[in-house]
Amino acid sequence: MAIKYSELVIKHFKNPHNVGIIDNPDASATEGSPACGDQLTVYLKVNSETQIIEDIKFQSYGCASNIATASIITDLAMGRNIEAAKQITWKQAADELGGLPPIKMHCSVLAVDALRSAIKNWEHKHLGKEIDDSLSKKNIVKELQKVIYGKVGVDIVSLKLLKYIGIDDKKNVLLEIAIKKDDPFIDDVKNEINERMEKFPKIASVKISLV
Amino acid sequence: MSGKEVYLDSCKTSRMAPEVLHAMMPYLTDKYWYPGSFTSIGTEIAEVIEQAQETVAHSMNAKSEEITFTSGGTDANNIAIQGILQANKEKGKHFICSTVSHPSVLAIFQGMEKRGFEGTYISANKDGYLNLDELEAAIRPDTILAAFTQVNHILGTIQNSKAIRNILDQADHKVYLFMDSCEAYTKIPLDVEELGIDSLSISVHKFNGPKGMGILYVKKGTEIVPTQFGITRLYKLKPGAINVPGIVGTAKAVEMAFTDFDKTIERYRELQKLLYDEIMKRISDAVLNGPPLGERSPAHLNVTFRYIEGEAIMMMLDFDNIHVETGSACSSQNLQPNYILMNTGRTHEESHGSVRFTLDRFVTKEDILKTVDALEKTAKELRRRSPLGKKEQ
Repeated sequence: MAIKYSELVIKHFKNPHNVGIIDNPDASATEGSPACGDQLTVYLKVNSETQIIEDIKFQSYGCASNIATASIITDLAMGRNIEAAKQITWKQAADELGGLPPIKMHCSVLAVDALRSAIKNWEHKHLGKEIDDSLSKKNIVKELQKVIYGKVGVDIVSLKLLKYIGIDDKKNVLLEIAIKKDDPFIDDVKNEINERMEKFPKIASVKISLV
Repeated sequence: MSGKEVYLDSCKTSRMAPEVLHAMMPYLTDKYWYPGSFTSIGTEIAEVIEQAQETVAHSMNAKSEEITFTSGGTDANNIAIQGILQANKEKGKHFICSTVSHPSVLAIFQGMEKRGFEGTYISANKDGYLNLDELEAAIRPDTILAAFTQVNHILGTIQNSKAIRNILDQADHKVYLFMDSCEAYTKIPLDVEELGIDSLSISVHKFNGPKGMGILYVKKGTEIVPTQFGITRLYKLKPGAINVPGIVGTAKAVEMAFTDFDKTIERYRELQKLLYDEIMKRISDAVLNGPPLGERSPAHLNVTFRYIEGEAIMMMLDFDNIHVETGSACSSQNLQPNYILMNTGRTHEESHGSVRFTLDRFVTKEDILKTVDALEKTAKELRRRSPLGKKEQ
């Protein structure tokens, strides 16, 4: 079947909204990396009294859907209060664009992740909220919910591909994933997992075991 | 999409020349017959096929009986590689390939490994040239076949077939040399005798011929067994229905490609140089992938545009009706960057930002200039959106 972008994805890719930098932003966050093929930076201006996002801009290194999803999440977040903006999901962002091909769903995850990280940074700076990067099973699951299995465009936790999380005393993490070793997406999933585990500063090592 | 189509992706496929279609038409309509003996209609077709074989054989200094028409490059690769390995399995089970070979060839070898054959994959340097020291070291007493890509489809690198042959000849037994010449044929001179090639494959739709046609060359005396079985009206290695219009179209495309061959190559070189010079002059942070212009295939250019991503570039050009290819992971089927760019030492970022331009007989100077105009505009716009690199004002 032909894999193609929706008209809305093309529209946002051709003329993305809210591209650029906010000078002296109240908060910003960068997610992804050039090595992973996409990187997104989100800048926020938040009214400290109303907690409303008064301005939001982004810069993106990535493909058409990366740029389009960044554009749509800035549209969705603009003018919203930060609690409401935190509720924006990657499924919602994809739906707002008229859907994304399964192999591109990770772009929506990255866009929402960058928005949420920027909000977290704002909350940390302005409300003094701690950023919880402790190495717990709960936090690991949260991160792995962002790893998309490209064949179907759904995360590995929802797909029940994550079978086991082990953390030993020395902060070594063992993850058991139910994917066949000759699956065409295996390297992509492994790279994504390793990238996500970098979020935990205290982690010693990650071992991915295929079961 | 707007304006006249600019198509710079002959390495994927190409527009069939009107002359080719014209040559094929009678055999798609009135002359629908099969080759045969004695009858007027049978012998007419038999003679047409003989003439086509002669045309193809002449283009590579082969003998007519060494040519088999197949249903594509992949078909030819399979017949040759599997057939040579199977025919020689009593002598050994080892083959040599490379980490920068075409995926269709690698897939065959992966399949043959599951059937008991063993492979050594030699690496390439940053420009895509095979490490010949590794080739020398890889030859074993049970090595029966070495198979390489003559012109690399990603990097445009022309392998030194003669040097490879000389190394294989140092073995105290016969090691067959197979070349995937799909990207080489009609773009560089090809003389199977001079280069010491035992077998090669060609894909016809990459040089303005019909789709679904391939050419297989197997040197006389090569030990090879058939891998397909059926009625062998023409070729013992390729049974089944005979695509007479396809064969006629192939011969016409070959004839056209080799008429004024030197002039055509010179034209490719001029267009390639124009594309390269204009990109380097007008777009900052552009890096050539593969060998320098004088060394590489004249119909091939691969450039990385730093700080931006290839699929986005490809799509922006598509909006302007300009068609190219990228090595970006984002446009691959499994989100992995191109393995050839990675295996020749490019970073992920360099691979993601790579764009390949391949020429054919229809590409004009105006096409090249239109492409560079669009590239300049695209690079500027995508870099404005990118968090990487310094900002152009």
